[in-house]
Amino acid sequence: MAQTHDHTKDEFDIVETDPAKLPALGRSMLFLDKKKNVDRIVYGLYVVCALLVIADIAYKKKTYFSIEYFFGFYGWYGFIMCALLVVCAKAMRTFLMRDESYYAPYDVEAEDYPEDQLDRSSIHD
Amino acid sequence: MIDVVPPFIVYILGAFVVANTPAGILRSAVLCLIPLIGGALVWNLEVGTFGQFTAYGLDIVLLRVDKLSIIFALIFSLAGFLAMLYAWHIKDTIQQVAALLYSGSAIGAVFAGDLITLFVFWEGTAIASVFLIWARRTEGAYHTGMRYLIMQIASGVILIAGAALYYRDTGSIAFEQMTLGSLGTWLIFLAFGIKCAFPLLHNWLQDAYPAATVTGTVVLSAFTTKLAVYALARSFPGTELLIYIGAIMTLFPIFYAVIENDLRRVLAYSLNNQLGFMVVGVGIGTELALNGTAAHAFAHILYKALLFMSVGAVLFRTGTAKGSDLGGLYKTMPLTMIFCVVGAASISAFPLFSGFVSKSLILSAAGKEHYWVIWAILLFASAGVFHHSGIKIPYFVFFAHDSGKRPKEAPWNMLLAMFITAALCIGIGSYPAPLYALLPYEIKYEPYTTSHVITQLQLLFFSALAFTVLMRTGIYPPELRSVNLDSDWTYRKAGPAVLGWLTWVISSLWTGFKALSLDKLWKLTEGLYKTHGPEGRMARVWPTGSMVLWLAVILAAALLVNFI
Repeated sequence: MAQTHDHTKDEFDIVETDPAKLPALGRSMLFLDKKKNVDRIVYGLYVVCALLVIADIAYKKKTYFSIEYFFGFYGWYGFIMCALLVVCAKAMRTFLMRDESYYAPYDVEAEDYPEDQLDRSSIHD
Repeated sequence: MIDVVPPFIVYILGAFVVANTPAGILRSAVLCLIPLIGGALVWNLEVGTFGQFTAYGLDIVLLRVDKLSIIFALIFSLAGFLAMLYAWHIKDTIQQVAALLYSGSAIGAVFAGDLITLFVFWEGTAIASVFLIWARRTEGAYHTGMRYLIMQIASGVILIAGAALYYRDTGSIAFEQMTLGSLGTWLIFLAFGIKCAFPLLHNWLQDAYPAATVTGTVVLSAFTTKLAVYALARSFPGTELLIYIGAIMTLFPIFYAVIENDLRRVLAYSLNNQLGFMVVGVGIGTELALNGTAAHAFAHILYKALLFMSVGAVLFRTGTAKGSDLGGLYKTMPLTMIFCVVGAASISAFPLFSGFVSKSLILSAAGKEHYWVIWAILLFASAGVFHHSGIKIPYFVFFAHDSGKRPKEAPWNMLLAMFITAALCIGIGSYPAPLYALLPYEIKYEPYTTSHVITQLQLLFFSALAFTVLMRTGIYPPELRSVNLDSDWTYRKAGPAVLGWLTWVISSLWTGFKALSLDKLWKLTEGLYKTHGPEGRMARVWPTGSMVLWLAVILAAALLVNFI
């Protein structure tokens, strides 16, 4: 079983995992590790977004406000507002972000869990 | 006196039983059984008021049963059961008893028909729940628990002060609809506002929830804040101020959630944001809006618990819930990942998931009443919540860069609890009729119209697109080990700093004053000693005899006066 390891929180090394040791469901999703496949998903997302905007032609909107009639309103509103959200939040970091021990040392650390419950040894067999 | 068994009794008796049962399967089973029994009692309650009696001239109503109290009590019972199942492996008596008393108090408060009963249970939730934080037994958790307790107790004290003033003004302590105006009603409003995490009163939530135990946070997430939403819906429906408070609540937490590293704190921020939707619903106050608030509270408790459960399972297995330290866990915790994604889809209000059928009631109510700015804010907040809860949480935990962590899948009890919760989220989203039937008012609402589905999908997919574009261009802020300043800075840093400064100023003033006055005093004493001391000049005219003489003279005068 487990060899003696110093299980401090940063002790995990990136270990090439033997796929056979993963649960079947996890193994079936390993294709996500390949950049090519991730790219495909992203292209898929572009296509879905385009289709959703085009779909606006195909039905009659029932709305409360006139702005909703604007072609693809929900799409561009979602996109622009989310982009703004992230940019603003990132800017907020410059004056809000502090070191983890700002209030007290180890202020945000979790308690030590019993090793047997962490089950970390699975990669150190 | 008591004509119906109040459901909270089950929890109090249950707590005694649990405390005296040896830790193990039997105790865990009892723990799961208690919320089920309580839920069955709630389900079978008839509409009306029960448990009425008069104490010290005050009309106490232990049980006021109507559709509004029933739906909250039902979801509290369900959340209690799921949390107990999730915590099946726990052997810590303190946590288990605290969780039971906490859920019992919350249910007791929901049925309270007067402000005194409400106050008792209100404080009950505060005192019981702090043990879920302290149970972590770290120094940080101890201090956080203290801060949490101070805020919660303060809310209770303000509530009872408000109730006393309200009683003086109206002669009634009924927990009924009120109009903001008198000091009493404002205090009651403020007390509810603290527990509901109104802006600037909110930070106890983000401070405390990530500090509790893995299972404790799941319990915490369900009760306190939704109890406050219930209290607002009961007392202040249609109060316009709440619309604006709620809109701010939906807005500012999402900015924090984007840059926060501790994922349980991210969830606490998004909890705050979701509360905002419910508060807006209460503020609008129409039947549709109040139905929306109740439905959203119901759906929210489930998907928020599910999200806390999945992040909790990761924390349980890896020892951390920091976005910066996680990634790639889908390989070994695929089931937890799927449940997390279901929770994420529900909170983001994807069609077929629970948030879709509940949040839209509130948005529609805002639209119907022509609050277009509020509507636009809520729409932005909906997109934002998808951004940080819907994408960020699953992405940084289970995908993103591989952290190299290969933890085991969550234990069976956690998986089962997550499975049931996820099934409920999908069930409610796909077939909302049973939920709608529980709502306080008659409802004719069809969430699945072409317009609604397409527009919602546009909103969500384009915010996903924004995430993807920002991620690929490197603009998206990376997860960094850090804390962000929020309003708790005022009482954790600024307050102590100001106090420290004041202490310094006052003490140095005092020292200076003391030195100066002591010097003067000393000189005065010395002078007096010189003149009046035993060796002093004045002491020479101090014959003891003259004093006796004068005494005799005074006595004689007194005698004389008496005779006359």
